[in-house]
Amino acid sequence: MNNNKTLTSVILLLVGCGVFHYLIFPIFTPKEPGWFLNRYVYFLLMVAYIIGYNIILNLKPPMFFKATTVWGVGYYFYDAVLHPHIPWTLRITYMMLWSIGTFLYITQDPVTFKEFRKPIVKTIVGDYRMARIVVFIALPVLVGFATYQSLLPKFEEPVELRTVHPAPPATTKVHGKSYTLEGLQNPFRIDEQDKYKDSFPFLDADKQEYVKYITEGGTIFFQNCHYCHGDQLNGLGMFSHVFNPTPANFVDPGTIAMLRESFLFWRVAKGGPGLPNESTPWSSAMPPWEEHLKTEEIWKVILFEYWYTGWHPRTFDEESSSGSEKKKE
Amino acid sequence: MINQMNKVWKRLLFLAVLTAAFALPGASWAAEKPDAVKKDLLEKGKKVYFKRCVWCHGVEGAGDGPSADRLFTRPRNFNQGTFKIRATDSGHLPLESDLVLTVKNGLPGSAMPAWGEVLNEDEIVAVVNFVKTLLVDRNFDDADEEVEVQQFGEMPWKTEAGPLKEQNLFLGVPQEAIDQGREVFIKNKCFECHGGMGRGDGNPTMKDDWGFPIVAADWQQCWNFRGSRRDPYNPFNIVRTISTGLNGTPMPNFREQITVEDRWKIAAFVNSLCPRKKIDKLTNKPINDFLISSMYTKEAVAKKIDDPMWQAPDDDPKLVKRAKDYPGTLNKKHYIGMAGQITRGDRNFKPKVDNLWVSSRWNPEEKAVYYLVEYHNRFLPTTPEFPEGVAIQWPSKLQDLYGAEKPYFIYGDSKKPVDVWKAVLLPKDYNPTAPPKDDGFQLDVHVEELNGAGFDKVEKKKTPPTVEIVDSVFKQGRVKILFRRSLETANKDTDVQIPSEKFIPVSFMQWSGVNKEKNEHMAISTWYYTILEPTIPDSIYYMPPIMAVTFLVLEGWLVWMTKRTRRMYDEGKVN
Repeated sequence: MNNNKTLTSVILLLVGCGVFHYLIFPIFTPKEPGWFLNRYVYFLLMVAYIIGYNIILNLKPPMFFKATTVWGVGYYFYDAVLHPHIPWTLRITYMMLWSIGTFLYITQDPVTFKEFRKPIVKTIVGDYRMARIVVFIALPVLVGFATYQSLLPKFEEPVELRTVHPAPPATTKVHGKSYTLEGLQNPFRIDEQDKYKDSFPFLDADKQEYVKYITEGGTIFFQNCHYCHGDQLNGLGMFSHVFNPTPANFVDPGTIAMLRESFLFWRVAKGGPGLPNESTPWSSAMPPWEEHLKTEEIWKVILFEYWYTGWHPRTFDEESSSGSEKKKE
Repeated sequence: MINQMNKVWKRLLFLAVLTAAFALPGASWAAEKPDAVKKDLLEKGKKVYFKRCVWCHGVEGAGDGPSADRLFTRPRNFNQGTFKIRATDSGHLPLESDLVLTVKNGLPGSAMPAWGEVLNEDEIVAVVNFVKTLLVDRNFDDADEEVEVQQFGEMPWKTEAGPLKEQNLFLGVPQEAIDQGREVFIKNKCFECHGGMGRGDGNPTMKDDWGFPIVAADWQQCWNFRGSRRDPYNPFNIVRTISTGLNGTPMPNFREQITVEDRWKIAAFVNSLCPRKKIDKLTNKPINDFLISSMYTKEAVAKKIDDPMWQAPDDDPKLVKRAKDYPGTLNKKHYIGMAGQITRGDRNFKPKVDNLWVSSRWNPEEKAVYYLVEYHNRFLPTTPEFPEGVAIQWPSKLQDLYGAEKPYFIYGDSKKPVDVWKAVLLPKDYNPTAPPKDDGFQLDVHVEELNGAGFDKVEKKKTPPTVEIVDSVFKQGRVKILFRRSLETANKDTDVQIPSEKFIPVSFMQWSGVNKEKNEHMAISTWYYTILEPTIPDSIYYMPPIMAVTFLVLEGWLVWMTKRTRRMYDEGKVN
């Protein structure tokens, strides 16, 4: 009778989790998750299901099975549910904590602990004959295999860490003219960018001066930059896959959106070879564009990049004013 | 008047076709009107077009935007209504759904990106409808226009998706179908343009409808198929192209010549040629193998490319099981993505070579390392003025590199010079229109050892030569060069000294003679790592059993302990 109940519980768990993972999980992970249709609600529902059928059917599964279920559900959470996926080193740490939690649950009182140990002890002393044979053969084989794996020479590409944004110098010299980057403005930013959201490059270039600059900047971009930074400015140009590090994605909020135009001016003009000696290696394939473009062309490309992505460059307002206050002190 | 006559003729023709359609029981296609332009979407479509598309396709849609002259495979000229990837018959206008799919998935191998991740469905439909209004010579709303949607049948075999979650590799197509497909391929002379091995090396003189040079697709790089719809291994894409042709190009349809069943067999054959690699969904290219492992080889390394030792297939060994009949362990072929050198000096916007395949072996007794560099180039040069070339670039002084530091990737820099092994080659008795030779063309090849301290500071070394090309061949669109060098040389100043078991930066350069590439006008890769793998230690044979037995003894002890404890419980010594 008791065995039947345990069997029912095992079957309901396996079948239920299978249904949840393969049929219900895709429903709960649409492209844009909502307040209900998301992976965490899915996980809560799954846990509710497992607790639910055990209570409703009054199955009372044995302690060992309960503990493995709890441990397994935790593993499933970190492996499949938690998003974004965490690296395995972190998962080991989390699973250690989870295992400790499971152990606390087992040892909440001597009775449950004893109940948990029962099947293990029975396997060891041979009450469960088959289980003992399987475990006692499988484990040494596993140990041997692990030894083999650890002795087999394996090589993985070395990991290289990089600083994302280098510190710019105070001044830079482009085409024979020296520029102080602090306070340097884009000479073509003659108006508020948002006014031209619905303007057409080329078509409105005759009517609106700002759009004329955007058109000229875009023309330069699509003759020089799109190979790496992409037709969509997302760093996925036709040559982008070749380079490591991959070209910058301007649509991402972490690139031009948090930089000043003067930083971009320096970075575009000097390219990979102009990066500072600190925090090397940069390994940047970015050309020093002063070799190919005029100063005003560089500014126009920058103007275009902000218009196209809709980002606004970081401005000098707060910092310049705080800087001038310091001077007064 | 002429127009009137034309209309009459067209109608007569249509009637004839209609009767034929009814008379022939096998002909299942039927003429329809093309999808009309949805006028209410044009305003929205125009906004999208003039922000996203105008830069390549131009203000009038004539494929003459600012970028056009610097792209090989120029942007599409919409004015003639000529669209390559369609479900409709040759010469016909495409369906709206064809254009939507093209915009969504982009055209791999060209600069056209996949817009499905950037624009939403409404925007894509809108811009497609706007593009339809850019036609000058034809009109989607013309009463005379009709489209015949082709029948493609169903894939007749069950295939396996393979081990990748996000990519269907279409494995397990029966060999019989592939072999039959090869026969259909020969019978229909597909090799005349696509070459005997499908590397697109059949015909060097082709032009598209606008007179621009065009080349046949390389079937061994199916991720570059324009119509691959980001599903490069799906044979359907090939069946569609054989059935509908590619408008504006020399690729005709084979609707009449080849039955639908046979088209699927050709697709099976074409599909079988494409190596299975993990394809990056975002860039539509195989993921680079950034670590080139040089295999420890106990026996002498073969100096002939034909040797079974060098026959590793291009497939990723993790994705495709290798034939069991190979004696010994095959090394891996590494995929190296190449781009035009568009950074310094004379820039190359239209490189001919997209990738290299590199495999390597080393032998500790010979104290030498071998690198087999292979790549596809449809045609090689015939004039010594612009020879073909491929090079391996190394940092000259590994000991001076701190941490992950590397020299500048284009011929190094003044502080970190590079050592370049350049193979300069010219095929013997070859011209691009000559029929292929079974054994391939032998190459006139010599090595230039260069010392670079910047792209404008490259000079030939004056020290004795150290690098050899032990074998080379150009066979049906594939160049193979086998480099050999001893690990250490006498000249420690400018020759790289290669240690074993260390990660060494390495990169590659390639020059296409037919494209007049020279000096820094070339194709280039970024820095990779190579490592001379050590031998497998002997301890691997005796340590695992020792550990297993030790563990078994521990288990026995545990059983004894547990039983003793239990006995103590039973005897009441412990409570």
